[in-house]
Amino acid sequence: MKYLSILLLSLLSLPLMAAPDGKALYERNCSVCHHFKGEGGIGLPLTAEILSQVSDDYIAKTIRVGRPGRIMPSFNALSDAQVQAIVRYIRSWSGKPGPVFKTTRLQGDSARGKPLFEKHCVRCHGKDGSGEGPGTGVTLSRERSFMVMPAALNNPGFQQSASDAMIHDIVLSGRKVGGMPSFKSKLTDQEVADVVAYVRTLKPPALHQGMEEWRGKPAYIMESPYDFETTVENVKQALTGANFRIFPPRYLEQGLTDEFSVNTRQISIRFCNFKELYHLLNIDPRLGTVLPCRINVIERDGKVLVISANVAQLATLFNNQELSEVGVLMEEIILSVMEEATL
Amino acid sequence: MRKLLAILLIVGVGFASASERNLVMVRSPARAAHVMDVLKETILEYGYQVAHTQRCDGGMAEFHYKSDFYRVVFFGKVKEVREVLKRHPEMSPYLPLKIAVVAEKDATVLAAVDPRALAPMFPDDAELHVLLARWYNDIDAMLEELRELKKAP
Repeated sequence: MKYLSILLLSLLSLPLMAAPDGKALYERNCSVCHHFKGEGGIGLPLTAEILSQVSDDYIAKTIRVGRPGRIMPSFNALSDAQVQAIVRYIRSWSGKPGPVFKTTRLQGDSARGKPLFEKHCVRCHGKDGSGEGPGTGVTLSRERSFMVMPAALNNPGFQQSASDAMIHDIVLSGRKVGGMPSFKSKLTDQEVADVVAYVRTLKPPALHQGMEEWRGKPAYIMESPYDFETTVENVKQALTGANFRIFPPRYLEQGLTDEFSVNTRQISIRFCNFKELYHLLNIDPRLGTVLPCRINVIERDGKVLVISANVAQLATLFNNQELSEVGVLMEEIILSVMEEATL
Repeated sequence: MRKLLAILLIVGVGFASASERNLVMVRSPARAAHVMDVLKETILEYGYQVAHTQRCDGGMAEFHYKSDFYRVVFFGKVKEVREVLKRHPEMSPYLPLKIAVVAEKDATVLAAVDPRALAPMFPDDAELHVLLARWYNDIDAMLEELRELKKAP
Protein backbone atom coordinates (compact mmCIF):
# COMPACT_ATOMS: atom_id res chain seq x y z
CA MET A 1 0.00 0.00 0.00
CA LYS A 2 2.86 2.36 0.95
CA TYR A 3 4.57 1.79 -2.41
CA LEU A 4 1.31 2.30 -4.26
CA SER A 5 0.85 5.68 -2.56
CA ILE A 6 4.41 6.74 -3.41
CA LEU A 7 3.91 5.65 -7.01
CA LEU A 8 0.64 7.61 -7.30
CA LEU A 9 2.16 10.72 -5.73
CA SER A 10 5.13 10.47 -8.09
CA LEU A 11 2.81 10.19 -11.06
CA LEU A 12 0.86 13.23 -9.85
CA SER A 13 4.02 15.32 -9.58
CA LEU A 14 5.31 14.41 -13.06
CA PRO A 15 3.48 17.25 -14.87
CA LEU A 16 4.93 19.72 -12.35
CA MET A 17 8.49 18.66 -13.15
CA ALA A 18 8.19 18.70 -16.95
CA ALA A 19 8.77 21.99 -18.78
CA PRO A 20 5.38 23.50 -19.61
CA ASP A 21 4.27 23.23 -23.22
CA GLY A 22 2.85 26.65 -24.17
CA LYS A 23 1.01 25.39 -27.24
CA ALA A 24 -0.68 22.58 -25.33
CA LEU A 25 -1.57 24.93 -22.48
CA TYR A 26 -2.95 27.52 -24.88
CA GLU A 27 -5.04 24.93 -26.70
CA ARG A 28 -6.36 23.52 -23.45
CA ASN A 29 -7.13 26.81 -21.72
CA CYS A 30 -7.40 29.61 -24.25
CA SER A 31 -8.34 28.31 -27.71
CA VAL A 32 -11.98 27.76 -26.85
CA CYS A 33 -12.53 31.52 -26.61
CA HIS A 34 -9.60 33.01 -28.56
CA HIS A 35 -9.51 30.30 -31.31
CA PHE A 36 -6.52 28.23 -32.33
CA LYS A 37 -4.29 31.09 -33.48
CA GLY A 38 -5.94 34.04 -31.77
CA GLU A 39 -8.61 34.59 -34.42
CA GLY A 40 -11.06 35.38 -31.63
CA GLY A 41 -14.53 34.08 -30.90
CA ILE A 42 -16.23 34.42 -27.57
CA GLY A 43 -12.94 36.02 -26.55
CA LEU A 44 -10.96 38.91 -27.94
CA PRO A 45 -9.03 38.28 -31.16
CA LEU A 46 -5.33 38.31 -30.38
CA THR A 47 -4.32 40.06 -33.59
CA ALA A 48 -0.77 41.02 -34.50
CA GLU A 49 -1.73 44.67 -34.00
CA ILE A 50 -3.14 44.12 -30.51
CA LEU A 51 -0.21 41.94 -29.47
CA SER A 52 2.25 44.56 -30.72
CA GLN A 53 0.68 47.08 -28.33
CA VAL A 54 0.66 45.07 -25.13
CA SER A 55 3.54 43.85 -22.99
CA ASP A 56 4.22 40.28 -21.91
CA ASP A 57 3.57 41.46 -18.38
CA TYR A 58 0.10 42.69 -19.40
CA ILE A 59 -0.77 39.35 -21.04
CA ALA A 60 0.52 37.39 -18.04
CA LYS A 61 -1.42 39.51 -15.55
CA THR A 62 -4.53 39.29 -17.71
CA ILE A 63 -4.28 35.48 -17.67
CA ARG A 64 -3.83 35.59 -13.91
CA VAL A 65 -6.59 38.00 -12.91
CA GLY A 66 -8.96 37.75 -15.88
CA ARG A 67 -11.66 40.33 -16.39
CA PRO A 68 -14.29 40.10 -13.67
CA GLY A 69 -17.72 40.35 -15.27
CA ARG A 70 -16.35 40.31 -18.85
CA ILE A 71 -16.22 36.56 -19.60
CA MET A 72 -12.44 36.09 -19.29
CA PRO A 73 -11.90 34.01 -16.15
CA SER A 74 -8.87 34.18 -13.91
CA PHE A 75 -6.48 31.29 -14.44
CA ASN A 76 -5.05 31.42 -10.97
CA ALA A 77 -4.42 27.66 -10.84
CA LEU A 78 -1.72 27.93 -13.53
CA SER A 79 1.87 28.21 -12.33
CA ASP A 80 4.03 31.19 -13.29
CA ALA A 81 6.01 28.92 -15.61
CA GLN A 82 2.81 27.80 -17.33
CA VAL A 83 1.60 31.39 -17.80
CA GLN A 84 4.99 32.38 -19.23
CA ALA A 85 4.85 29.39 -21.58
CA ILE A 86 1.47 30.54 -22.89
CA VAL A 87 2.80 34.08 -23.40
CA ARG A 88 5.81 32.72 -25.31
CA TYR A 89 3.52 30.61 -27.49
CA ILE A 90 1.32 33.61 -28.30
CA ARG A 91 4.44 35.63 -29.18
CA SER A 92 5.66 32.83 -31.44
CA TRP A 93 2.85 33.59 -33.92
CA SER A 94 4.56 36.75 -35.07
CA GLY A 95 8.06 35.88 -33.90
CA LYS A 96 8.35 39.43 -32.56
CA PRO A 97 8.89 40.29 -28.91
CA GLY A 98 6.29 42.39 -27.15
CA PRO A 99 6.91 46.00 -26.14
CA VAL A 100 8.20 46.74 -22.67
CA PHE A 101 6.67 49.62 -20.72
CA LYS A 102 7.78 51.46 -17.61
CA THR A 103 5.72 50.40 -14.63
CA THR A 104 5.89 53.75 -12.85
CA ARG A 105 2.76 55.87 -12.67
CA LEU A 106 2.51 58.85 -15.03
CA GLN A 107 2.27 62.27 -13.48
CA GLY A 108 -1.23 63.16 -14.65
CA ASP A 109 -4.04 65.24 -13.20
CA SER A 110 -7.34 63.35 -13.14
CA ALA A 111 -9.34 66.60 -12.79
CA ARG A 112 -7.86 67.86 -16.05
CA GLY A 113 -8.25 64.42 -17.62
CA LYS A 114 -11.97 64.11 -16.88
CA PRO A 115 -13.23 66.63 -19.49
CA LEU A 116 -10.80 65.21 -22.05
CA PHE A 117 -12.06 61.69 -21.36
CA GLU A 118 -15.65 62.91 -21.71
CA LYS A 119 -14.85 64.63 -25.00
CA HIS A 120 -12.81 61.90 -26.68
CA CYS A 121 -13.41 58.54 -25.01
CA VAL A 122 -16.97 58.35 -23.65
CA ARG A 123 -18.60 57.62 -27.00
CA CYS A 124 -16.99 54.16 -27.16
CA HIS A 125 -15.81 53.40 -23.63
CA GLY A 126 -18.91 54.76 -21.89
CA LYS A 127 -19.15 57.42 -19.20
CA ASP A 128 -18.05 55.03 -16.48
CA GLY A 129 -15.48 53.29 -18.73
CA SER A 130 -17.50 50.06 -18.93
CA GLY A 131 -16.92 49.78 -22.67
CA GLU A 132 -20.56 49.13 -23.40
CA GLY A 133 -21.32 48.35 -26.99
CA PRO A 134 -21.36 45.59 -29.59
CA GLY A 135 -18.26 43.51 -30.02
CA THR A 136 -16.91 40.31 -28.57
CA GLY A 137 -19.09 37.24 -28.45
CA VAL A 138 -19.21 36.61 -32.15
CA THR A 139 -20.82 33.19 -32.24
CA LEU A 140 -24.24 32.81 -33.84
CA SER A 141 -25.43 35.76 -35.84
CA ARG A 142 -23.42 38.51 -34.26
CA GLU A 143 -21.77 40.74 -36.80
CA ARG A 144 -18.13 39.91 -37.26
CA SER A 145 -17.25 43.24 -38.82
CA PHE A 146 -16.67 44.78 -35.40
CA MET A 147 -14.80 42.14 -33.51
CA VAL A 148 -13.54 44.05 -30.53
CA MET A 149 -15.65 45.54 -27.83
CA PRO A 150 -14.14 48.78 -26.48
CA ALA A 151 -12.01 47.91 -23.47
CA ALA A 152 -13.70 48.04 -20.06
CA LEU A 153 -11.31 50.58 -18.61
CA ASN A 154 -13.01 50.45 -15.22
CA ASN A 155 -12.56 46.70 -14.94
CA PRO A 156 -10.36 45.72 -11.99
CA GLY A 157 -8.63 43.12 -14.18
CA PHE A 158 -7.70 45.76 -16.74
CA GLN A 159 -6.64 48.22 -14.06
CA GLN A 160 -4.32 45.64 -12.50
CA SER A 161 -2.86 44.44 -15.80
CA ALA A 162 -2.30 47.64 -17.81
CA SER A 163 0.50 50.02 -16.90
CA ASP A 164 0.01 53.76 -17.31
CA ALA A 165 2.67 53.82 -20.02
CA MET A 166 0.89 51.10 -22.00
CA ILE A 167 -2.46 52.94 -21.92
CA HIS A 168 -0.66 56.15 -22.87
CA ASP A 169 0.95 54.43 -25.83
CA ILE A 170 -2.34 52.94 -27.08
CA VAL A 171 -4.13 56.30 -26.82
CA LEU A 172 -1.46 57.84 -29.02
CA SER A 173 -1.30 55.03 -31.58
CA GLY A 174 -4.97 53.99 -31.72
CA ARG A 175 -6.17 50.50 -32.56
CA LYS A 176 -7.48 49.69 -36.01
CA VAL A 177 -9.19 46.41 -35.13
CA GLY A 178 -11.47 48.10 -32.63
CA GLY A 179 -11.92 51.30 -34.61
CA MET A 180 -10.00 53.36 -32.06
CA PRO A 181 -8.44 56.44 -33.66
CA SER A 182 -4.97 57.74 -32.90
CA PHE A 183 -4.98 60.80 -30.63
CA LYS A 184 -1.43 61.80 -31.54
CA SER A 185 -2.50 64.98 -33.28
CA LYS A 186 -5.32 65.78 -30.85
CA LEU A 187 -3.74 65.39 -27.41
CA THR A 188 -0.36 66.31 -25.99
CA ASP A 189 1.68 63.86 -23.94
CA GLN A 190 0.63 65.63 -20.76
CA GLU A 191 -3.04 65.58 -21.75
CA VAL A 192 -2.85 61.83 -22.36
CA ALA A 193 -1.24 61.44 -18.94
CA ASP A 194 -4.17 63.40 -17.49
CA VAL A 195 -6.64 61.10 -19.24
CA VAL A 196 -4.78 58.06 -17.87
CA ALA A 197 -4.94 59.56 -14.37
CA TYR A 198 -8.69 59.94 -14.80
CA VAL A 199 -9.01 56.35 -16.10
CA ARG A 200 -7.39 55.24 -12.84
CA THR A 201 -10.27 56.80 -10.90
CA LEU A 202 -12.96 54.81 -12.77
CA LYS A 203 -14.75 52.20 -10.71
CA PRO A 204 -16.81 49.23 -11.88
CA PRO A 205 -20.58 49.64 -11.53
CA ALA A 206 -22.26 48.07 -8.52
CA LEU A 207 -23.63 44.62 -9.30
CA HIS A 208 -27.31 43.92 -8.89
CA GLN A 209 -27.90 40.72 -6.99
CA GLY A 210 -30.80 38.36 -6.85
CA MET A 211 -33.35 38.47 -4.06
CA GLU A 212 -31.75 38.02 -0.66
CA GLU A 213 -34.22 35.30 0.28
CA TRP A 214 -32.91 33.03 -2.49
CA ARG A 215 -29.27 34.08 -2.56
CA GLY A 216 -26.82 31.16 -2.34
CA LYS A 217 -29.53 28.60 -3.02
CA PRO A 218 -29.40 26.36 -6.09
CA ALA A 219 -33.10 26.55 -6.88
CA TYR A 220 -36.39 28.25 -6.17
CA ILE A 221 -38.76 25.77 -4.54
CA MET A 222 -42.43 26.30 -3.78
CA GLU A 223 -44.91 23.80 -2.42
CA SER A 224 -48.13 23.63 -4.37
CA PRO A 225 -51.48 23.34 -2.59
CA TYR A 226 -52.85 21.56 -5.67
CA ASP A 227 -52.50 17.99 -6.86
CA PHE A 228 -49.75 17.05 -9.33
CA GLU A 229 -51.81 17.30 -12.54
CA THR A 230 -53.44 20.61 -11.59
CA THR A 231 -50.06 22.08 -10.65
CA VAL A 232 -48.61 21.09 -14.04
CA GLU A 233 -51.52 22.80 -15.80
CA ASN A 234 -51.19 25.87 -13.58
CA VAL A 235 -47.49 26.21 -14.43
CA LYS A 236 -48.23 25.93 -18.16
CA GLN A 237 -50.97 28.56 -17.95
CA ALA A 238 -48.80 30.94 -15.97
CA LEU A 239 -45.96 30.54 -18.48
CA THR A 240 -48.28 31.18 -21.41
CA GLY A 241 -49.55 34.29 -19.63
CA ALA A 242 -45.93 35.46 -19.30
CA ASN A 243 -45.47 35.15 -23.12
CA PHE A 244 -43.42 31.99 -23.14
CA ARG A 245 -43.75 29.25 -25.70
CA ILE A 246 -44.07 25.85 -24.05
CA PHE A 247 -42.46 22.71 -25.45
CA PRO A 248 -43.97 19.28 -24.88
CA PRO A 249 -43.21 18.41 -21.25
CA ARG A 250 -40.71 15.64 -20.50
CA TYR A 251 -40.35 13.36 -17.56
CA LEU A 252 -37.15 14.14 -15.74
CA GLU A 253 -35.91 10.58 -16.20
CA GLN A 254 -37.15 10.26 -19.78
CA GLY A 255 -34.49 8.80 -22.04
CA LEU A 256 -32.40 7.66 -19.08
CA THR A 257 -34.45 4.55 -18.48
CA ASP A 258 -37.15 2.53 -20.23
CA GLU A 259 -40.68 3.88 -20.49
CA PHE A 260 -42.02 1.42 -17.90
CA SER A 261 -39.52 2.41 -15.20
CA VAL A 262 -39.62 6.16 -15.69
CA ASN A 263 -40.92 8.20 -12.76
CA THR A 264 -44.02 9.92 -14.15
CA ARG A 265 -44.40 12.14 -11.08
CA GLN A 266 -41.39 14.25 -12.02
CA ILE A 267 -42.09 16.50 -15.00
CA SER A 268 -39.98 19.19 -16.66
CA ILE A 269 -42.01 21.95 -18.27
CA ARG A 270 -39.66 23.51 -20.80
CA PHE A 271 -40.33 26.99 -22.08
CA CYS A 272 -38.74 29.69 -24.18
CA ASN A 273 -39.18 33.19 -25.50
CA PHE A 274 -37.20 33.02 -28.74
CA LYS A 275 -36.80 36.77 -29.07
CA GLU A 276 -35.25 36.90 -25.61
CA LEU A 277 -33.22 33.77 -26.27
CA TYR A 278 -31.75 35.27 -29.43
CA HIS A 279 -30.85 38.40 -27.53
CA LEU A 280 -29.34 36.40 -24.67
CA LEU A 281 -27.28 34.14 -26.94
CA ASN A 282 -25.79 37.28 -28.42
CA ILE A 283 -24.84 38.44 -24.95
CA ASP A 284 -23.28 35.07 -24.22
CA PRO A 285 -23.25 32.16 -26.67
CA ARG A 286 -22.35 29.77 -23.86
CA LEU A 287 -25.84 30.10 -22.46
CA GLY A 288 -26.81 26.75 -24.00
CA THR A 289 -25.12 25.10 -21.03
CA VAL A 290 -28.16 26.03 -18.94
CA LEU A 291 -30.86 25.82 -21.59
CA PRO A 292 -33.72 25.29 -22.00
CA CYS A 293 -35.55 27.23 -19.31
CA ARG A 294 -37.66 24.80 -17.36
CA ILE A 295 -39.81 24.49 -14.30
CA ASN A 296 -39.99 21.05 -12.72
CA VAL A 297 -43.01 19.69 -10.91
CA ILE A 298 -42.10 16.86 -8.56
CA GLU A 299 -44.34 14.82 -6.31
CA ARG A 300 -42.68 13.27 -3.27
CA ASP A 301 -43.79 12.26 0.19
CA GLY A 302 -47.33 13.43 -0.60
CA LYS A 303 -46.14 16.95 -1.47
CA VAL A 304 -46.12 18.62 -4.87
CA LEU A 305 -43.05 20.81 -5.37
CA VAL A 306 -42.52 23.41 -8.08
CA ILE A 307 -38.82 23.92 -8.73
CA SER A 308 -36.74 26.13 -11.00
CA ALA A 309 -33.01 26.78 -11.18
CA ASN A 310 -31.99 29.90 -9.30
CA VAL A 311 -31.37 31.88 -12.49
CA ALA A 312 -29.84 34.88 -10.73
CA GLN A 313 -27.29 32.57 -9.11
CA LEU A 314 -26.78 30.52 -12.25
CA ALA A 315 -26.07 33.59 -14.39
CA THR A 316 -23.12 34.49 -12.17
CA LEU A 317 -21.30 31.32 -13.29
CA PHE A 318 -20.65 32.90 -16.69
CA ASN A 319 -18.54 35.83 -15.45
CA ASN A 320 -20.58 38.06 -17.74
CA GLN A 321 -22.04 41.08 -16.00
CA GLU A 322 -24.57 41.75 -18.74
CA LEU A 323 -25.90 38.24 -18.36
CA SER A 324 -25.93 38.53 -14.57
CA GLU A 325 -28.19 41.57 -14.88
CA VAL A 326 -30.57 39.57 -17.08
CA GLY A 327 -30.49 36.75 -14.53
CA VAL A 328 -31.78 39.14 -11.88
CA LEU A 329 -34.64 40.22 -14.16
CA MET A 330 -35.45 36.62 -15.08
CA GLU A 331 -35.60 35.72 -11.40
CA GLU A 332 -38.49 38.11 -10.95
CA ILE A 333 -40.37 36.64 -13.93
CA ILE A 334 -39.86 33.00 -12.95
CA LEU A 335 -40.78 33.59 -9.34
CA SER A 336 -43.98 35.36 -10.39
CA VAL A 337 -44.86 32.40 -12.66
CA MET A 338 -44.22 29.96 -9.82
CA GLU A 339 -46.22 32.04 -7.37
CA GLU A 340 -49.12 32.31 -9.79
CA ALA A 341 -49.11 28.54 -10.31
CA THR A 342 -49.12 27.78 -6.60
CA LEU A 343 -51.47 30.50 -5.34
CA MET B 1 -7.11 1.95 -1.49
CA ARG B 2 -10.57 3.48 -1.01
CA LYS B 3 -9.03 6.03 1.35
CA LEU B 4 -6.46 6.91 -1.25
CA LEU B 5 -9.13 7.36 -3.93
CA ALA B 6 -11.12 9.58 -1.57
CA ILE B 7 -8.01 11.72 -0.98
CA LEU B 8 -7.45 12.02 -4.73
CA LEU B 9 -11.05 13.09 -5.29
CA ILE B 10 -10.81 15.66 -2.51
CA VAL B 11 -7.61 17.00 -4.09
CA GLY B 12 -9.63 17.38 -7.29
CA VAL B 13 -12.33 19.33 -5.46
CA GLY B 14 -9.64 21.54 -3.94
CA PHE B 15 -8.29 22.44 -7.37
CA ALA B 16 -11.76 23.38 -8.48
CA SER B 17 -12.24 25.85 -5.68
CA ALA B 18 -8.90 27.48 -6.51
CA SER B 19 -10.09 28.38 -9.98
CA GLU B 20 -12.88 30.75 -10.94
CA ARG B 21 -13.71 28.89 -14.09
CA ASN B 22 -17.22 27.60 -13.70
CA LEU B 23 -17.64 26.25 -17.19
CA VAL B 24 -15.84 23.35 -18.81
CA MET B 25 -15.21 24.37 -22.41
CA VAL B 26 -13.18 23.17 -25.36
CA ARG B 27 -12.85 24.00 -29.03
CA SER B 28 -12.78 21.08 -31.44
CA PRO B 29 -11.36 21.58 -34.94
CA ALA B 30 -14.01 19.19 -36.35
CA ARG B 31 -17.36 20.26 -37.77
CA ALA B 32 -20.34 20.43 -35.42
CA ALA B 33 -22.38 17.60 -36.96
CA HIS B 34 -19.44 15.21 -36.68
CA VAL B 35 -18.66 16.39 -33.15
CA MET B 36 -22.28 15.70 -32.17
CA ASP B 37 -22.05 12.11 -33.41
CA VAL B 38 -18.77 11.49 -31.60
CA LEU B 39 -20.03 13.17 -28.43
CA LYS B 40 -23.01 10.84 -28.25
CA GLU B 41 -20.76 7.80 -28.67
CA THR B 42 -18.33 9.15 -26.09
CA ILE B 43 -21.11 9.71 -23.55
CA LEU B 44 -22.12 6.06 -23.91
CA GLU B 45 -18.50 4.93 -23.59
CA TYR B 46 -18.31 6.70 -20.24
CA GLY B 47 -21.30 4.73 -19.00
CA TYR B 48 -23.94 7.44 -19.32
CA GLN B 49 -27.19 7.35 -21.22
CA VAL B 50 -28.06 10.07 -23.74
CA ALA B 51 -31.50 11.26 -22.65
CA HIS B 52 -32.22 13.55 -25.58
CA THR B 53 -30.91 16.32 -27.78
CA GLN B 54 -32.42 19.78 -27.91
CA ARG B 55 -32.15 21.79 -31.15
CA CYS B 56 -31.88 25.44 -30.10
CA ASP B 57 -31.14 26.71 -33.62
CA GLY B 58 -34.26 25.00 -34.99
CA GLY B 59 -36.54 26.88 -32.62
CA MET B 60 -34.90 30.18 -33.42
CA ALA B 61 -35.07 29.55 -37.16
CA GLU B 62 -38.80 28.88 -36.80
CA PHE B 63 -39.10 32.41 -35.47
CA HIS B 64 -36.85 33.78 -38.24
CA TYR B 65 -33.80 34.31 -36.05
CA LYS B 66 -30.60 33.37 -37.85
CA SER B 67 -28.45 30.93 -35.93
CA ASP B 68 -25.56 28.54 -36.49
CA PHE B 69 -25.74 24.88 -35.43
CA TYR B 70 -26.63 24.88 -31.74
CA ARG B 71 -27.57 21.74 -29.83
CA VAL B 72 -27.78 20.74 -26.21
CA VAL B 73 -27.19 17.08 -25.34
CA PHE B 74 -28.73 15.77 -22.10
CA PHE B 75 -27.23 12.72 -20.43
CA GLY B 76 -26.98 10.94 -17.13
CA LYS B 77 -27.26 7.73 -15.16
CA VAL B 78 -30.74 7.09 -13.85
CA LYS B 79 -29.47 5.55 -10.62
CA GLU B 80 -27.41 8.63 -9.79
CA VAL B 81 -30.23 10.99 -10.74
CA ARG B 82 -32.62 9.14 -8.44
CA GLU B 83 -30.17 9.05 -5.53
CA VAL B 84 -29.40 12.75 -5.79
CA LEU B 85 -33.04 13.84 -6.15
CA LYS B 86 -34.03 11.73 -3.16
CA ARG B 87 -31.80 13.90 -0.99
CA HIS B 88 -31.96 17.15 -2.96
CA PRO B 89 -35.01 17.83 -5.14
CA GLU B 90 -33.49 21.29 -5.67
CA MET B 91 -30.85 19.58 -7.85
CA SER B 92 -33.57 18.68 -10.38
CA PRO B 93 -33.01 21.78 -12.60
CA TYR B 94 -29.42 20.61 -13.12
CA LEU B 95 -30.28 17.05 -14.10
CA PRO B 96 -29.80 15.31 -16.45
CA LEU B 97 -26.36 16.76 -17.09
CA LYS B 98 -25.91 18.64 -20.35
CA ILE B 99 -23.34 19.76 -22.87
CA ALA B 100 -23.92 22.54 -25.40
CA VAL B 101 -22.52 22.06 -28.91
CA VAL B 102 -22.12 25.28 -30.88
CA ALA B 103 -20.70 25.72 -34.38
CA GLU B 104 -18.17 28.47 -34.94
CA LYS B 105 -17.57 28.41 -38.66
CA ASP B 106 -15.67 25.14 -39.30
CA ALA B 107 -14.83 24.54 -35.65
CA THR B 108 -17.08 23.59 -32.75
CA VAL B 109 -17.29 24.88 -29.21
CA LEU B 110 -18.47 22.51 -26.50
CA ALA B 111 -19.44 23.83 -23.10
CA ALA B 112 -20.92 22.54 -19.88
CA VAL B 113 -21.40 23.95 -16.43
CA ASP B 114 -18.69 22.59 -14.12
CA PRO B 115 -20.79 20.48 -11.71
CA ARG B 116 -18.39 21.41 -8.91
CA ALA B 117 -19.68 24.99 -9.14
CA LEU B 118 -22.83 23.71 -7.44
CA ALA B 119 -20.95 22.27 -4.46
CA PRO B 120 -20.90 25.46 -2.31
CA MET B 121 -24.70 25.46 -2.41
CA PHE B 122 -24.72 22.07 -0.67
CA PRO B 123 -22.14 22.67 2.05
CA ASP B 124 -23.16 19.72 4.23
CA ASP B 125 -23.21 16.93 1.68
CA ALA B 126 -19.68 15.61 1.20
CA GLU B 127 -20.99 12.62 -0.72
CA LEU B 128 -22.59 14.95 -3.27
CA HIS B 129 -19.32 16.89 -3.56
CA VAL B 130 -17.52 13.69 -4.52
CA LEU B 131 -20.20 12.89 -7.10
CA LEU B 132 -20.00 16.43 -8.54
CA ALA B 133 -16.21 16.04 -8.79
CA ARG B 134 -16.63 12.74 -10.61
CA TRP B 135 -19.12 14.26 -13.03
CA TYR B 136 -16.63 17.05 -13.67
CA ASN B 137 -13.83 14.56 -14.30
CA ASP B 138 -16.00 12.64 -16.76
CA ILE B 139 -17.20 15.75 -18.61
CA ASP B 140 -13.67 17.12 -18.75
CA ALA B 141 -12.29 13.83 -20.08
CA MET B 142 -15.08 13.53 -22.66
CA LEU B 143 -14.55 17.06 -23.91
CA GLU B 144 -10.79 16.51 -24.06
CA GLU B 145 -11.39 13.59 -26.41
CA LEU B 146 -13.48 15.85 -28.64
CA ARG B 147 -10.88 18.61 -28.53
CA GLU B 148 -8.40 16.14 -29.95
CA LEU B 149 -10.60 15.20 -32.89
CA LYS B 150 -8.97 15.84 -36.21
CA LYS B 151 -10.25 18.46 -38.61
CA ALA B 152 -12.19 16.91 -41.49
CA PRO B 153 -10.21 16.95 -44.76
